[in-house]
Amino acid sequence: MSMTGIDAELLRNAMSSIADEMYIALMKSSYSTNIKERRDHSTALFDARGRVVVQGESMPLHLASMLGLVEVVLEKFGCDALKPGDMFLSNDPYVGRGSHLPDVAMAAPVFRDGELVMFVCNIAHHADIGGMAPGSMAGGMTEIYQEGLRIPPIRLFDAGRLQQGVMDLILLNVRVPEERLGDYNAQIAANQLGVRRCEALIDRWGKERIAEGCDEIVAAVARRFRAAIAELKDGAYEFEDIVDDDGLSRRNIRIRLRITVRGEEIEFDFDGTDPQVEGNNNVTMAGLQAACLYSLKVLLDPECPQNHGLLDPVTIRAPAGSVVNASFPAASAARAQTGQRIVDVIFGALAPACPDRIIAAGNGANTSAAFFGKAPDGRYYVYLETLGGGAGGRAYKDGTDGVQVHMTNTSNLPIEALETEYPLMVERYELVPDTGGAGRFRGGLSIRRDYRALGHATTFSGQGERFVNPPWGLFGGQPGGTGRFAVIGDDGTETRLANKPSALRVGPDAVISVVTPGAGGYGPPSDRDPLAVADDARSGKFSEGYLVQHYGSDYSSS
Amino acid sequence: MYIGIDVGGTFTDIALNRDDGSNIVLHKLPTTPDAPERAIISGLREMLEEHGLAAAAVRRIAHGTTVGTNALIQRRCGKVAVVTSQGFRDLLEIGRQTRPRVYDMHLDFPAPLVDRHLRIEVPQRRLADGTARIALDEEAVRRAGATLAAEAVDCVVVCFLHSYAYPEDENRTAAILRQALPAGVRVLTSASVYPEFREYERFSTAVLNAALITTLTSYLERLTDGVAALGITAEVKISQSSGGLMSVKMARELPVRASLSGPAAGVQGALRRATEAGFLNIITLDVGGTSADVALLRGGRPVEVSERDLAGFPVRIPAMDVNAVGAGGGSIAWIDRSGLLKVGPQSAGAVPGPACYNLGGTEATVTDANVFLGRLNAEALLGGKMPIRSDLSAACIDSLARKLGVTTDAAALGIVNVACARMVKAIRAISVERGHSPRDFVLFVYGGAGPLHATDVARDLGIGRIVVPPNPGILCAEGAMNAPLSVEFVRTILAPLDAGNAGVLREASAVLGRQVEEWFAREEVPAAQRRTAWTVGARYVGQNYELTLPLELSLDDRAMAADMAEKFHAAHETSYGFAARSEPIQIVNLAVKALGMLEIADLPQFEPAEPGLPRELRETLFAGTTRVSTPVFDREALTPGHVIVGPAIIEQMDTTVLVFPGDSCAVDRWGNLVIDVRETVR
Repeated sequence: MSMTGIDAELLRNAMSSIADEMYIALMKSSYSTNIKERRDHSTALFDARGRVVVQGESMPLHLASMLGLVEVVLEKFGCDALKPGDMFLSNDPYVGRGSHLPDVAMAAPVFRDGELVMFVCNIAHHADIGGMAPGSMAGGMTEIYQEGLRIPPIRLFDAGRLQQGVMDLILLNVRVPEERLGDYNAQIAANQLGVRRCEALIDRWGKERIAEGCDEIVAAVARRFRAAIAELKDGAYEFEDIVDDDGLSRRNIRIRLRITVRGEEIEFDFDGTDPQVEGNNNVTMAGLQAACLYSLKVLLDPECPQNHGLLDPVTIRAPAGSVVNASFPAASAARAQTGQRIVDVIFGALAPACPDRIIAAGNGANTSAAFFGKAPDGRYYVYLETLGGGAGGRAYKDGTDGVQVHMTNTSNLPIEALETEYPLMVERYELVPDTGGAGRFRGGLSIRRDYRALGHATTFSGQGERFVNPPWGLFGGQPGGTGRFAVIGDDGTETRLANKPSALRVGPDAVISVVTPGAGGYGPPSDRDPLAVADDARSGKFSEGYLVQHYGSDYSSS
Repeated sequence: MYIGIDVGGTFTDIALNRDDGSNIVLHKLPTTPDAPERAIISGLREMLEEHGLAAAAVRRIAHGTTVGTNALIQRRCGKVAVVTSQGFRDLLEIGRQTRPRVYDMHLDFPAPLVDRHLRIEVPQRRLADGTARIALDEEAVRRAGATLAAEAVDCVVVCFLHSYAYPEDENRTAAILRQALPAGVRVLTSASVYPEFREYERFSTAVLNAALITTLTSYLERLTDGVAALGITAEVKISQSSGGLMSVKMARELPVRASLSGPAAGVQGALRRATEAGFLNIITLDVGGTSADVALLRGGRPVEVSERDLAGFPVRIPAMDVNAVGAGGGSIAWIDRSGLLKVGPQSAGAVPGPACYNLGGTEATVTDANVFLGRLNAEALLGGKMPIRSDLSAACIDSLARKLGVTTDAAALGIVNVACARMVKAIRAISVERGHSPRDFVLFVYGGAGPLHATDVARDLGIGRIVVPPNPGILCAEGAMNAPLSVEFVRTILAPLDAGNAGVLREASAVLGRQVEEWFAREEVPAAQRRTAWTVGARYVGQNYELTLPLELSLDDRAMAADMAEKFHAAHETSYGFAARSEPIQIVNLAVKALGMLEIADLPQFEPAEPGLPRELRETLFAGTTRVSTPVFDREALTPGHVIVGPAIIEQMDTTVLVFPGDSCAVDRWGNLVIDVRETVR
């Protein structure tokens, strides 16, 4: 017997309460800033077949890792070997369907009367997972072995007993093990909480009803996503874009995509995309899946709940060993840079299929700046942040200025907090004029943030994309500005740095200047409302020269 | 005689306590959004006339208002300019560089309240330790003043980095600007509105305050003039988002503190009623037409938070921790494209309202479901004032049922259950997710639609007891009437917690203590009515969220530090499930809350009387598929000592109370209904 739309909604509510509770518990009791402040973690409930049924609030990039997590556990151990009180751990992109090593996933089965009924899972981004550099995210590495400890799906708890040897092995391989232990404990506690809540849920609903309900909740999302895809115009759509470089040997890395929409189904084919690179911005299949599903959801049905049903109408093909479907042993710590670009490519392709919903290319990156040094008072510090930029022009309004786009939405640290805790000073934090591409609806402006290491030398590492290849406009909209890293000397001279500088010694008292990319405009500049152009001038967001160039010398008189 | 007023989106409620033990007098009339004082003044006049009351006998009028919030949403507020540190004029625009929602590319935070050309940078920069890295350029400030004088602004806000600890440059700049600007232009500093670190939130709060000054000042003038014209000599007090009151004088300086006062006044009302009746641990559930507001009170104290949102902007004001969800009586039921039944957040509002109002509504709402199930009166609501067409409810629920492939009964039950599930989720967020078990609390229910849904919600959460006050529809007005004057002062500390730093705390407490004394004097609070409570915000070094702990200044340095450390670890354990006893603790801030207790009237008590009889029997569906014959009582017929065993329905002008089969409902001497819920597993 199948479940009605009423009971399925009630069960979905109850299950998502559990996922939310796990999410909050993990956030509040963890140690890594990544988790507690940037909220780089996710939780989900699965059915006995290993399908995601309900996700808590989540990082878009974790979605696909969730989708594969329990499947690999079931493949490796088999359903019969699972016992109440078991818990599994995994992080590897190649054998564990993760997307990069710092994301550690944990899954625990839930039993009733000896029968497997559900799983609870969580994924959290750890501040360190070992490897060559502190933080396990630095560039300059060419294979995954250098990036950190690889963990295949393994048993962390056996029928309620912690496998101390496993935990000891992990902690011996990571930096600041006491803190990391705190994060592992937070993940374990969140799953144990989830198991208890699920057991109470099974008390109320009964295991058969839970199984029926999970089927219906997954089927409902599949139906809903199919209906959304059906709204796209049928046809084949192609696009390509160029990634600046891999920070080591390769420049201008091509991502090619052909999308075919047929009724309720859609196929992504990345044939023609360049091979994987030596640097660490490779994306594995889990990351690619996440980017495709994110793009469809955000374009077609932002409110759609996330579960296995999303995959139902979607096919993804990508050459093995390419930069979007990297094979072992490619390095993948900075997969977010390329992940953001995959979204741009999908948007570029689908622009003619849904011109009213699409937006032009945004800053297409996850610009990051990391500082490592010894403060004048002798303390060592590591400080990492990611910066937003322009968001693309939309069909009916301008792109947002100075904001995180697509698969990232992390907050900045208050300057007053940063300056209190670190020997760094922020000299300016501002929008950069002329970086939002002109258009009927212009692109958003990029951000400039200048840092000064006070009274000491610091080591700077950065990740920049769209520092060479600008964010494109759509339907006649102009491209936005590119970004750059630079060192500014006392006399004001600016020295441009590489796009992905690794462990660069700077200072003392030198200024490191970060400019992020802007965003493309939407529609021809000639269609822009003269009042909007007047406002571009009055706000000082665009120079007279830029406005004259794109809107004509009489822009102010019209 | 005391009066409380709540101006809501649809109705303006007025409650009056004669303080002679008689029933509280109620008045409800439509809100006049363009000039809210019109409804207030005419309501007051009608009330005084109708009950033959003397205006001169009014001892206090307390008033919660959303005037400020509405003005901000509609951008009908003052023109504001900002003078800020060099390099940071876009700070108010970049904010936290995030989008409101990850999966929504179309939703933006609102554009800044201050246009970019009105944000002027001047050379000035201090570091975290107070070092003047760039000295304040006073000449540049004068030039900024000249520029702004030509822009006809209403208010200028000075926003410098690290001013929470080093306000000198902001103060100096404000003094120069006051000279340079026309007399009518107000000049504020960010630290005078909210002297705490985290620049974006501080600047945002100060700008919101500035934008509200013009609007609220003129509103308050019209209101106080109108009240005086009625012959009322008592001062008007304004509700704050903390639930406390402030003088009109203070509201003119800090209008932002009045912004989220409506729901807070309701919680304040619940607090008084529940405490009096002996319930110290309560979860409040206030269900209106479009939303349900929930809050948690432990040991007779509400939880306060300072991080709130006002018209899309962050605002840092002391506020009650009220969580809202878009599920109320008017919430619309619909089927999403996956085939699942959803309820809300869209609401039919007052117009067209639920289908059964016959005012043009065609979509099934929660109210329609309750009418169809026989839970709400199928002839008329609001004490007979609102005629009901139950056939219209049946028709729209039936069409929903056909799409779902279930019976009409099942669909109607489904609508109510899904709405309740959303309320349950909102309560879990403020209880379970913060380390509190709902089983340890009483559900205190108000708002017109609260008592209809209380049992479903309580049962789902394992709550055993429900309390319904005598007038659930007017508790916000009553709460305003009974609140004390209150104010909070805070200073950022950012120092490790150890005995060596006790001096820092004592120094800061001396400064705050002086501010409190000045406030008591300004508000004319008699010595015997003064109360203060000191707290510190603390966290483990490296964390980003603070916990608030009571501070015992009377202890010696060593004992004080030890006491705080112990309380912090314990609070961390409760909130987050663990304590890291070897980790160093950091004191983030020191705060003092001062209360000026006001005279309040006793709550009326009711005398036992002959048990009233049910007015009628109604076929009602509580669960499953079988309707049961249910006695319907008038609320007035129930007096202290009465115990009813469900099924029963209790009707009154402003609400309908549902007692499920097997549950019992007693009346206490304050007229509260106390319902004991049997525990059942679905």
